[in-house]
Amino acid sequence: MPTAGSVLRAAATLVAFALIVVPILIVVLAAFSPSDYFQFPPPGLSMRWFIEFFRLDNMRSAFALSVELALASATIATILGTLAALYLARRGGMLANILQSLFVAPLVFPTIILGVALLLLYKTIGMPVFSGLLLAHCVVGMPYGFRTVLASAQGLDPSLEEAGQSLGAGPLRTLVLVTLPLIWPGVLSGWLFAFIVSFGELNTALFLTGPGVTTLPIEIFSYLQFQGSQLVIAAASSIQIALIVILVAVVERIVGIARITRAR
Amino acid sequence: MRSAWRWFLLAPPLALLLVFFVVPVVYLFWVSLHAGSTSELYGASLTLRNYTALVGDSFYLTIIGRTLAIAAVILGLCLVIGYPVAYFVAMLPPRRRMLATLVLLFPLMVSNVVRAYGWVALLERRGVVNTTLHDLGLLDAPLALLYTPSAVVVALMTILLPYMVISIANTLAGLDRRYLEAAQALGASPVRTFLHVTLPLSAPGIASGTLLVFLLTLSAYVTITLVGGPRSKLLVSMIYDSVTAFQWPRAAALAFVLLVLALAFTAGMLALLRPGRVQGSAR
Repeated sequence: MPTAGSVLRAAATLVAFALIVVPILIVVLAAFSPSDYFQFPPPGLSMRWFIEFFRLDNMRSAFALSVELALASATIATILGTLAALYLARRGGMLANILQSLFVAPLVFPTIILGVALLLLYKTIGMPVFSGLLLAHCVVGMPYGFRTVLASAQGLDPSLEEAGQSLGAGPLRTLVLVTLPLIWPGVLSGWLFAFIVSFGELNTALFLTGPGVTTLPIEIFSYLQFQGSQLVIAAASSIQIALIVILVAVVERIVGIARITRAR
Repeated sequence: MRSAWRWFLLAPPLALLLVFFVVPVVYLFWVSLHAGSTSELYGASLTLRNYTALVGDSFYLTIIGRTLAIAAVILGLCLVIGYPVAYFVAMLPPRRRMLATLVLLFPLMVSNVVRAYGWVALLERRGVVNTTLHDLGLLDAPLALLYTPSAVVVALMTILLPYMVISIANTLAGLDRRYLEAAQALGASPVRTFLHVTLPLSAPGIASGTLLVFLLTLSAYVTITLVGGPRSKLLVSMIYDSVTAFQWPRAAALAFVLLVLALAFTAGMLALLRPGRVQGSAR
């Protein structure tokens, strides 16, 4: 028998989920509009804005750059995060606590400040645009790999690694042959999150992109600011969403849904 | 050999964070302590003027006040809406709870510029809300919904709400039900059980949700600009404007004001909610 409280909670949940999901659904729906402006309900479906998206040079190159940047930064960030997690997995004490806080700090540090700070540093040392963006996204993405691998590595039975070493394997061989095969689901889900964060990242890219070197989210932002909300933006957004859906689906097949909902 | 191996693990990630996270933030602070310069990034003389000018300027104080007010409203709404939703999600059977978490998690993976654009498409003059109301005969002239502080609040609140719901739901789902049964067995009403048992035990989730929502609100330049328009300026917009005007020391000082607000809020929240006092709270 549902109480008044539980009915209210169910209603609040329905409203909240609608407010969270509807704006995203509207964007996807708008992308398939046949007309110049989005009409609701739509008069039909067409692919014209997707074709327009790939015809625009700046959109296409921003998309390509975003994919390259996300692939490269997620890979570097995950490798570094994994190293940090393996270092800290079996360590306690003050220094380990400080290091652990440092490794997750970029998660809560206001990224807009990191963006300004890196811009000033790059201007002083003369950093090329792409490398600068790449390093920024490595900093922002590293905590994800660090956390997921740390959770996997702490759940590991230490006797497995000891067995490897007592059988004569060096630390590197033990890492590659024993530890990595056991923690790779953590590594993969960390990589997924680092990729997703880089692919949608705004606050450092806002300052660190340059003329001709722009990421897709920043291209969408400047298009909206200076050319208004044309439907090619809906198509660009839908492509952003589609790539994430595909990636999450692939990783879910490999490591399972529970790991993804936990990894955040 | 063993210590060489340890360094091999620690050195690369530590180097990345030191060189591209710690050093730039320290450098930013150093720049904020200098006068502006037309030819260089910053002038030669050390000064506190960038900070004293902010405190003495009612324009900046108004903007800081407005930033805090908007953040407070967003936070309040996220708590009031997020808590019952989190409670509902936490009480679902495990499979459905996982599904609900995934529905909440997915929007967080979509870029905020896309989610803000969704709100622009809904609220603009020829947007979904206006045209639908018009077609239903409820509206003669389109309402000016976009570029208002309320639009910023609604858009940012819904963009950040999943963080609050997931944080609280995680804590509630891990709660030992025997505490609630004990309270009820001892004769406490549902309201009393909630106020004296459930709510205090969910402090860790409330703390992490509150911190995430507040800190992300402070940084949300793109959402604020797209939905709030050129006139609803917040602290983060002033940072961006100073950067585009090449006023580096001022931008740096404003960034540090934002950082101090973030740190003060974090410290205040942790002292108020003391999430660590709840036993067995991993998060």
